[in-house]
Amino acid sequence: MAIIQYTLKRLLLMIPTFFLVMIIIFLLVRFLPGDPAIAIAGDRASDADLAAIRERLGLNQPLLVQFWLFVTNTLQGDLGRSILMRAPVTDIIYDRLPTTIFLTVYAVSLSLLIAGPLAFVAALNRNKWPDAVIRTVFQVGLSMPVFYIGLILLTFLAAQLRWFPVGGYGDTFIERLHHLFLPAVTVALYTSAIIMRNLRSAIIEVLDAEYVQFARAKGLPDRLVLGRHVLRNALISTVTLLGLSIGNLMSGTLVTETVFAVPGVGRLMLEAIFARDYPLIQGLTLTFAVLVSVVFLLTDLFQSTLDPRMRLT
Amino acid sequence: MRGKLLAAAIAAATAITTPAMAQDRGGVLNFARYDGSKLIDPIYADRNPDIWMVGSLFDTLLRSSPDGNSVVAGLAESHEMSDDGLSVTLTLQEGLQFSDGAPLTGDDVIFSLNRARNPDLSPWAGLLGSIDDVSASDLTVTISLKAPDPTILSMLATFNTAIVSKSVFEAADGANDQEKSAAIFAAGGAGVGSGPFYLSGFEQGSSMSFSANPNYWKMGADGKALPYVDGVEFQIIPDDATRILKLQAGEVDAAEFIPFSRVAELEADPSINMNLYPSTRIIYSPINTREARADGTPNPLADVRVRQAINYATNKDALIGLVLQGAGKPMTSPLMAAATQLSSDLGPLYGYDLEKAKSLIADAGVAPGTKITFTTLAGSADDSTIFAALQQMWAPLGIALEVEQVDGATRGAKNRSGEFDIHTYGWVNDVNDPSQVVGWLGHTPTAKAVGTGWENPEFNSLFEASATEINAETRADQYAQMQKLYADSAPLLFMYETPFAVAVSNAVEGYVQTPLGNNIFEEATVSR
Repeated sequence: MAIIQYTLKRLLLMIPTFFLVMIIIFLLVRFLPGDPAIAIAGDRASDADLAAIRERLGLNQPLLVQFWLFVTNTLQGDLGRSILMRAPVTDIIYDRLPTTIFLTVYAVSLSLLIAGPLAFVAALNRNKWPDAVIRTVFQVGLSMPVFYIGLILLTFLAAQLRWFPVGGYGDTFIERLHHLFLPAVTVALYTSAIIMRNLRSAIIEVLDAEYVQFARAKGLPDRLVLGRHVLRNALISTVTLLGLSIGNLMSGTLVTETVFAVPGVGRLMLEAIFARDYPLIQGLTLTFAVLVSVVFLLTDLFQSTLDPRMRLT
Repeated sequence: MRGKLLAAAIAAATAITTPAMAQDRGGVLNFARYDGSKLIDPIYADRNPDIWMVGSLFDTLLRSSPDGNSVVAGLAESHEMSDDGLSVTLTLQEGLQFSDGAPLTGDDVIFSLNRARNPDLSPWAGLLGSIDDVSASDLTVTISLKAPDPTILSMLATFNTAIVSKSVFEAADGANDQEKSAAIFAAGGAGVGSGPFYLSGFEQGSSMSFSANPNYWKMGADGKALPYVDGVEFQIIPDDATRILKLQAGEVDAAEFIPFSRVAELEADPSINMNLYPSTRIIYSPINTREARADGTPNPLADVRVRQAINYATNKDALIGLVLQGAGKPMTSPLMAAATQLSSDLGPLYGYDLEKAKSLIADAGVAPGTKITFTTLAGSADDSTIFAALQQMWAPLGIALEVEQVDGATRGAKNRSGEFDIHTYGWVNDVNDPSQVVGWLGHTPTAKAVGTGWENPEFNSLFEASATEINAETRADQYAQMQKLYADSAPLLFMYETPFAVAVSNAVEGYVQTPLGNNIFEEATVSR
């Protein structure tokens, strides 16, 4: 019961957040130099053409009127029509969001698969050679730019060895796993480095905790101690970290989607900004805000199930 | 005129198709694009990735000849201009059909041209401002004009006058023409085309499919209807390096917009043909010629001698070597690429002459250390190279060149408001006539002479007079005078022309990108 009450409260609190996001993004895009008319037709349109385009798009209306329309339409689920794509913003986001979510979830899963076991190996061999090797390799992963790792993977694993396709995202679930493997690994290399470091120090901390020493003293087998006591407690901070880095992960897809030609919302945002596509930028920002808020909420809920001390209030 | 036109058409057709004797038919050509189409409708296409694909789906009444200097038959097998220049009569080919088998009639022509010249709909309507009325009876289409228009035939060979199906538009969902057009394009299923292909699939930002129009009127070298391929599959790969990898991995047959720094490497690859198609693309830099800058400070570039000096001090060949790895040539007309009709060859404009530049700067009394800001596109490797080179080239003149990096829309806004000293810019003709580019670059009322604020009454009146001049010689003379005036005043830093770089696998033959940038697949073949 407490969990439902808590969730409802958090959902209600999101409303002012979204309203604030709407005001900020509405003003921010309009403070950028250039407008959709200039961005799309400006490089060859006459001054008269630009004026006509602005009138058609309603850009010559007072800001307050434009904002009022934006808010009232959004409340009715209408995010307007994309100026660049000439289609309803909701349709475009609906088409492309699943690809980005798929890529993000894929990347997070891969990060956990890579970071989890290695963090254990590193922590259990603290300051011995396996620890040093693992930490050095991840340090390299952390210090290379995402697009560069992506291009290296593409050149060797896709173009030369032909193990993976160079771009695109496939049709079936299995095809997608195959197509999106390289972009997901590219993102995962970065995030797994962060997770590994965090998880390693969390494990070390837990290993030294008195309850673990007690569990061992009770004669519990190592497998049980590690699984039930160490992992569970060490995961708490990792989940928090993952939740907080959802924003970073999303912005990581901006670059990855461009390099790997994945038609997700990250690349769409980039296109929308360059084209000053106000409705699309607004729609995407709101979508990101909803996603991040939901992930934060889920993180908190998940934490409370892992750790009874984190009571939901 | 009519006989001459037919002869030209036959000559042009044979010139294009001679190499294709034993034709490979069938197969799908996989083409990697730098950017996706958003809406391929003749009248709404306003971005190059849209404009350059219109011709594949929708045919025009006339077509540009391969050399770009005249028009040849298209959907209309012949055309005739009245002696007073006030009407054009065209005769449609017999038995024309859309891709769905429906007949293409005069009604479709009237519908298409009326859409195209409606200023409430099309951003290109101004190009057809001279049209008074379009009528048709049987195969004869008559276009009457308000005033003589020397560009009208070129306009009938331009993407925005391509013919769409009236009945498809009437049947489409949507409250107005814009919504109907978007609905037709977004339908995803088989579209209806009058060109060599019809749209058979579209996924926003990711892929697009063209299928061969079985009813296309134009014949191939083997006497059967074009196109040779069954279809073209487009994939959108915005990253240059990825697009090239995709071609090298054999996942696509062609990749466009190859960066010039990679051209030599691909030329050395035996499995790839690196094509550099001549284009009407010019790269130039508008110079703010206003007496004062936007912030009110005096503008040293208002002095024509300073503008001439920086032109002389710019070594164009060195720039071409640095930025294009040699794959370009200095501009020889100040207002257009050499491939444009009526372009004057004034030699390499402002050939490198540092001494002359120094003396002009001394005459103008420019103080050493004078700061000039060069606005470039953020993230553009070409622009960064150009800036670094110019900074060094102009240093001997005492000019301290500073950089300001912005995105495309910001650069456009600064150009319109005059808040710049010099910035990079590029242009590709959309129309096979010089009036569009000359209006943009030089005619003050159109766009403040590409934002430079340059105003020359003689130039403006020459341009306005040429708009209704149907005597070809007089018009050519007006254009020659405008080019001379413009070169002397140097409202631009004149830079260079660049080709379109498209790499194709050895399996592909016959693909062409025209000087206007249009992608032509109708005679492309792919052997597997």
